[in-house]
Amino acid sequence: MSRHSKLQKQVLALYRQFLRAGRDKPGFIPRIRDEFRENSRIKKTDVMHIEYLYRRGQRQLEQLRDVNTKQLGSFAKPKDQS
Amino acid sequence: MASVRAASRLLSKRVLSKTTTVPAASVQGSRNFHFSIYGKKKNAKVSDDISTQYPVVDHEFDAVVVGAGGAGLRAAFGLSEAGFNTACVTKLFPTRSHTVAAQGGINAALGNMEEDDWRWHFYDTVKGSDWLGDQDAIHYMTEQAPAAVVELENFGMPFSRTEDGKIYQRAFGGQSLKYGKGGQAHRCCCVADRTGHSLLHTLYGRSLRYDTSYFVEYFCKGVIALCMEDGSIHRFRAQNTVIATGGYGRTYFSCTSAHTSTGDGNAMVTRAGLPCQDLEFVQFHPTGIYGAGCLITEGCRGEGGILINSEGERFMERYAPNAKDLASRDVVSRSMTIEIREGRGVGPEKDHVYLQLHHLPPQQLATRLPGISETAMIFAGVDVTKEPIPVLPTVHYNMGGVPTNYKGQVITHTGGEDKVVRGLYACGEAACASVHGANRLGANSLLDLVVFGRACALTIAEEHKPGEKLSPLQPSAGEESVANLDKLRFANGNLRTSEIRLNMQKTMQAHAAVFRTGSVLKEGCDKMDAIYQTLDDIKTFDRGIVWNTDLVETLELQNLMLNAVQTIHAAEQRKESRGAHAREDFKDRVDEYDYSKPLQGQEKKPYDQHWRKHSLSFVDPKTGKVTLKYRPVIDSSLDEQDCAHVPPAIRSY
Repeated sequence: MSRHSKLQKQVLALYRQFLRAGRDKPGFIPRIRDEFRENSRIKKTDVMHIEYLYRRGQRQLEQLRDVNTKQLGSFAKPKDQS
Repeated sequence: MASVRAASRLLSKRVLSKTTTVPAASVQGSRNFHFSIYGKKKNAKVSDDISTQYPVVDHEFDAVVVGAGGAGLRAAFGLSEAGFNTACVTKLFPTRSHTVAAQGGINAALGNMEEDDWRWHFYDTVKGSDWLGDQDAIHYMTEQAPAAVVELENFGMPFSRTEDGKIYQRAFGGQSLKYGKGGQAHRCCCVADRTGHSLLHTLYGRSLRYDTSYFVEYFCKGVIALCMEDGSIHRFRAQNTVIATGGYGRTYFSCTSAHTSTGDGNAMVTRAGLPCQDLEFVQFHPTGIYGAGCLITEGCRGEGGILINSEGERFMERYAPNAKDLASRDVVSRSMTIEIREGRGVGPEKDHVYLQLHHLPPQQLATRLPGISETAMIFAGVDVTKEPIPVLPTVHYNMGGVPTNYKGQVITHTGGEDKVVRGLYACGEAACASVHGANRLGANSLLDLVVFGRACALTIAEEHKPGEKLSPLQPSAGEESVANLDKLRFANGNLRTSEIRLNMQKTMQAHAAVFRTGSVLKEGCDKMDAIYQTLDDIKTFDRGIVWNTDLVETLELQNLMLNAVQTIHAAEQRKESRGAHAREDFKDRVDEYDYSKPLQGQEKKPYDQHWRKHSLSFVDPKTGKVTLKYRPVIDSSLDEQDCAHVPPAIRSY
């Protein structure tokens, strides 16, 4: 099995930090999982895209860690309405 | 630490706690949004049916400030200083807010150039407002002015200095000594000609010392914010909300305002069912560059610049024999328009006038007016040391806005009395305190920002404590805003956003300009109502959610429309000429007494027959129908012993 590249290690570390930060706040963990699973489909070679998402993720992590952020909800529109 | 974050929409619980604001009739079908904690699927059925999902992050703060211009920043760090957990939500980076474009200066009776007294400043402001300003708020502002300027100077604002190191004060429009009898006053403290720029940078730098959380590039609509960077929606719960979103110059085709001046705060308040005050008073700045619309500060005329017509005559001497070019802005704008109308305009189409500066010494131009020298070169191609600048009256400032009392609390008028709306505050151009009344004097706006920004922070600190428990919030708070967002994102009508916006701007420019006539205004009202209805037929192209500027511009257009319809309807209803609102068919001011004649023997007109009152306008966002009510002007100052109020008189310069 090939070793993880530097970038992959960074992404995994970010994921771990997110999970730790989102533990006490309702609603974040499922979203974090969904987001990372969705983006895992990006090819390993598309470094620009990955780095952009990584930077964005860091900003969002800062926001998650902030004591004033409380929960994540969602507004969902049922399919038959549109 | 003040971390800069991309944020999403902000919803204030205030909107929801009012039962009157939630409309009974729902938006066409798309209102059925289910709110749930992300991931907690109540039953399997719901999860299968989801077509679009908007993640919503909830935040809790003690206070939220919407807008990070001069007033917003001052309020935000004033609150942080007082120990409140504050969030400052802004759609632009703080130093890009429109305050940065302010050129002139801040008025304060410091007395550095000659002997001065803040009571003379009070008199000038009341007269400038054409007796529509609330004298208690004006008293508060002019009394606090010297302290406010000294505070700014202590923050590090690099004011221009005189030879002996004191703050340089220049002459400015409408400022006089000894209650109008002592000649021109020099009380505008400035930083060359880029005062707003240094003010904003000073305040921003200062605010970083405090613990305010900044949410930059978050667009607020009805108090829920959309994060433009990643398309998430954010709700901020707070006991106190301060609106400092600025004006709405972009309702007109030609204005000096940035593209981002879209009256978001006024629209938010209107959608919440609260009134906006005095929106018909739109200030036309006399010297905006012809064609480009960029501002040439009044400070040019303060330094000695003069306006000339095609005959090379200094025409202001005829219209304002004492103050001449430094008369109040509405007087100058009207004079310029009359000159152009009578055929003495310059240029191939004789449709503008010249501002002459080349008679001033070049060193003075270089030290005191460097910014406009460059602006004139870039936008008009003139060298100010050799040629005059082509100028035209251009929309510049909105005197009206969200009605507040002198403490910065938003008020509404029910049962013949002013009633405070708990938890909501407003300051800056978005608010109407009302210190500017029917016309604003130059250099009073920057003063208004810092004084009332601080006043909001002080009032909140007085009435509340940090860490107060928040009122309960419905889980689905903000549903209508998200539904609206969704509707616009997938809009598929026939008219583009830019087309509708252009229609609105051209209509406002043609029908609600410097001089207004009843029939033209009525036609404008009908056209605006029709254009409002075309919003239902809008078409957007970008279906994404990340950095969707098409969506943001459409949301801004909705806000602009609400402001525009109120402006034109209020203008059509007000049948008199006062301050910046000049009617050709009703040329005089209609007060309770006729002040041009002695008061003895005159009968006081009843309240509903005179016009010395504030207009309060409400809009039903569904239909675009405007309703107007009125509210009396506050004529007594805060302390009659210290500073007596100024009784109305005829206004001439």
